[in-house]
Amino acid sequence: MWNEITEKLHEVLRNVMPQVDVVLGWERGFNPLRIKPVVVRSEKDISRLVWNPFCVQNLTGYLVKNPAVIAGEGKKVAVCVKGCDSRSLVALIQEHFLDRDRLLIIGVPCQGTIDWRLVMKKIGNTTTVFNAHIEDGILRIEHSGGLEQMSIESVLLRRCLRCAYPNPVIYDVLIGETVTPRIDKSELYRNVAQFEQKSLEERRNFWIDVLSRCVRCYACRNACPLCICQDWCIAERRDPKWVTQRPTIKDIFIFHSIHALHLAGRCTECGECERVCPVGIPVMFIKEKLNEINLRLFSYEAGLDPQAVPPLLTFNPHEAGI
Amino acid sequence: MTPAKKAKKKIEEKIFIPQEKLNEVLERLSKHFRVWVPVLSSSSNGWTVEFRPFTIESEPFFTRQSTMPPKSVILPQGETLFQYEYVKNSDDPSKQDLILKETINAEKTLVFGARPCDVRGFVICDWVFLRGLYLDVYYKSRRENTLFATLVCQDADDACFCSSVGGGPGDMEGSDIRITSTSEGFVLEGLNDRAKEVISLCECDPPSEEQSRDAQRIQEEAKNRIIGSLDVSGSVEAVKGQFQNMGVWRDIAESCLSCGVCTYVCPTCYCFTITDEIQGLKGERLRSWDSCMFHQYTQEASGHNPRPTKLERYRNRLGHKFCYFPLRYGGVIACCGCGRCIRSCPVSIDIRSAVERVKEVHSNACVCS
Amino acid sequence: MLASAVNPYLPELGRVVEVITETPTIKTFRIVLENTEKMQAFDFRPGQVAQLSVFGVGEATFVINSPPTCKDYLQFSVMRAGEVTQKIHQLVPGDPVGVRGPLGNGFPYEAMQAKNIIFIAGGIGMAPLRTLLLFMLENRKDYGEISLIYGARSPQDLCYRYEIPNWQKKGVDVVLTVDAEAPGWTHRVGFVPTVLSEEAPSPNNRIAIVCGPPIMIKFVLFGLRELGFEDWQIYTTLEKRMKCGIGICGRCNMGEKFVCADGPVFSMEELQGMVPEL
Repeated sequence: MWNEITEKLHEVLRNVMPQVDVVLGWERGFNPLRIKPVVVRSEKDISRLVWNPFCVQNLTGYLVKNPAVIAGEGKKVAVCVKGCDSRSLVALIQEHFLDRDRLLIIGVPCQGTIDWRLVMKKIGNTTTVFNAHIEDGILRIEHSGGLEQMSIESVLLRRCLRCAYPNPVIYDVLIGETVTPRIDKSELYRNVAQFEQKSLEERRNFWIDVLSRCVRCYACRNACPLCICQDWCIAERRDPKWVTQRPTIKDIFIFHSIHALHLAGRCTECGECERVCPVGIPVMFIKEKLNEINLRLFSYEAGLDPQAVPPLLTFNPHEAGI
Repeated sequence: MTPAKKAKKKIEEKIFIPQEKLNEVLERLSKHFRVWVPVLSSSSNGWTVEFRPFTIESEPFFTRQSTMPPKSVILPQGETLFQYEYVKNSDDPSKQDLILKETINAEKTLVFGARPCDVRGFVICDWVFLRGLYLDVYYKSRRENTLFATLVCQDADDACFCSSVGGGPGDMEGSDIRITSTSEGFVLEGLNDRAKEVISLCECDPPSEEQSRDAQRIQEEAKNRIIGSLDVSGSVEAVKGQFQNMGVWRDIAESCLSCGVCTYVCPTCYCFTITDEIQGLKGERLRSWDSCMFHQYTQEASGHNPRPTKLERYRNRLGHKFCYFPLRYGGVIACCGCGRCIRSCPVSIDIRSAVERVKEVHSNACVCS
Repeated sequence: MLASAVNPYLPELGRVVEVITETPTIKTFRIVLENTEKMQAFDFRPGQVAQLSVFGVGEATFVINSPPTCKDYLQFSVMRAGEVTQKIHQLVPGDPVGVRGPLGNGFPYEAMQAKNIIFIAGGIGMAPLRTLLLFMLENRKDYGEISLIYGARSPQDLCYRYEIPNWQKKGVDVVLTVDAEAPGWTHRVGFVPTVLSEEAPSPNNRIAIVCGPPIMIKFVLFGLRELGFEDWQIYTTLEKRMKCGIGICGRCNMGEKFVCADGPVFSMEELQGMVPEL
């Protein structure tokens, strides 16, 4: 099935190539579980592209971050997006970082993306992976230690288990059939609600425990398509100096709080911040809380309607009162 | 223990720690050393393994390479270089004096269960901190006070390539004690005089003949295993030759996020920043991890940045490891082949194929011209 | 040798004794080390640098600007640019500071003996050249002709204006220039590279020492080569963001060379062998 979709993707791209300069997609990395983003600039390289549940990365950040992938005069950038990625595009269009007309959006309905760490845990910690094959929700791995089968559901990234928008919300071409969301919109913040049942101390201890692992590599920031000031982030700037370089919980917490607050009402829950964390800190959870507040107060969900104005962008200096 | 009994117990060069006795032994060692062990983080998705100081609750985890290397044992993420305090001048109250306090403190430390690649990281860093133009006293005092009990590595995945960069799964360079994990426990062998104290503090019996044989077989296997197939020869010339060929660096690093994962999980990435942190009149000068992948790393006050994009920054990381470092320090490649940068990279950039690509482009360029 | 030989990260405590306002953005600071023995023993080569600390703000690298024979104070000229330099500009006599140095290589003045010397400086680039110029004037007989082309944006932006007549008295052929006409300005008008080609110094037995903003250096190098100067005859001092100053922390490298420890002075010949990452 994934081979067919990949072939379809190649076919679509060959057809649109005259209008586009560059294609942002995914290709196989150093093993079958590891896919990497790739920028394709000529037709002959289209065959490098793949589409399968290992295509974890959100590619939309490459359109806005320095040096941004852009197309020449009169041409477009083609970008492959899953459901969650498409919401990032919408947010970037809303905030005028991207011009919709310069994009050729290739949407791919998503059945969930796979956490390579969970797969490795299941097949033994240190083996060489030769082949990964997915059929009917079952992942079959051929590796140096033998053959292993597992359900896709058991190795999905946390973001995918709570995904209500697997189908692209904005696209020019849609490849593959739309899929039924894993959860209903009403269930989006059930984890937040559950967590809030815990005592203040329990919650505090949880964050101290997980954040004590943070090494401040800023992968969460750099992978976030909406963290657009990354090169000039307050986390490293000394002037003004808001955060010290001390590796204390306090400083780490301040960084993550600022990171999350800068995304309040903007975060589209693509979960890249959490996926890229080398030490497994559930950083998206902070943003989920902010989005829950956002939904409750403003009935707003980020990255769905390119015409909508995010609530925290509605500041009007001439407002009569608060 | 009576003196007579004590004298009878011979200090063994080789001991066996049964699996179920490990924590007991580590606890005993903890009374004399700060003992670091790899542990599985409870609150991660069951994957992250880090070195943490041993406590009685610790469950040492040896079945997989740690996510973070034990680098922070010698090079902490943040380290106070000295403290200072502004005080009133006693003769002239309108003036301020400054009191400076040097803070070098290293306690006796034992890293238990690092792997050969992890320790090789320090062997490589030694060139910079101990054998450069200046001696780094902070590094030196930690290094001298730290012993490594290193696990003969029986694991490797498809990101590992230690044999390609001068190491190997049985390599004990820089280690004081060899640990061989067998089915029933751990055979420990002292590799130098420093090890004697640790071995005797363990208060364990020598391994049985069978246990010894087991360990020997595992060591033999490790010695014969070749992990990785990267050929680093010619990398120096290739990096220099292709330095200005931005096309090749774009091919390699266009997908780079410019985050610090590869540098922070790397046992040989040692670059740091120095900042002053002050509150009121008291403060410290702090050395903390920095990453050449960050824009601010080379950002000058004038606004100029010699490495303005991730392409120049990735070029520097690869160049540093496979060209500049060997040029500066007797041909040593600044990479221990642990594969962490490959494994942990959010966009799966593979430094092995990056080096191969630069070499390939370079050799093609040489043929044509 | 560092003033603090044991711990290369530990600054020597000093105190500001004098502040001279050079230009609207440049101030010169004279600093005395608290430890008088260390002050007397502070030995350095022209062109060497030091890390100047304002505790609580941080360190920045500056060339030691006083002549090596001066044991009364250490001098640094500082242009206001970033966080640390802003704080340094607020210093007044009596304020405590830290000095970590001398660091870096300095000018190879031995190799310049018996040669004619031309200094070419732009703006704050005069700071490192001043030390060498004063050193050469102290050892005048060891060198041939000494000339200087010094340019700045405007007359107010020239450093050490008050000293220039003295340099001339000691036999330095000084050509001053500013970017645009200004009331009362009787010297040259035009960019340094233009003035250089007008002056057209002969490369014969001459060493050129260049320091200034990158764009000026670029065109001056071009001009010098036009005049027939070879790479071994041209020296410059480089600037980079630095932290440790002792070749460890990593950031100021150009390939395998560290600007802080192997430089900051390089001949063009040396630079040609280094990766171009300025």
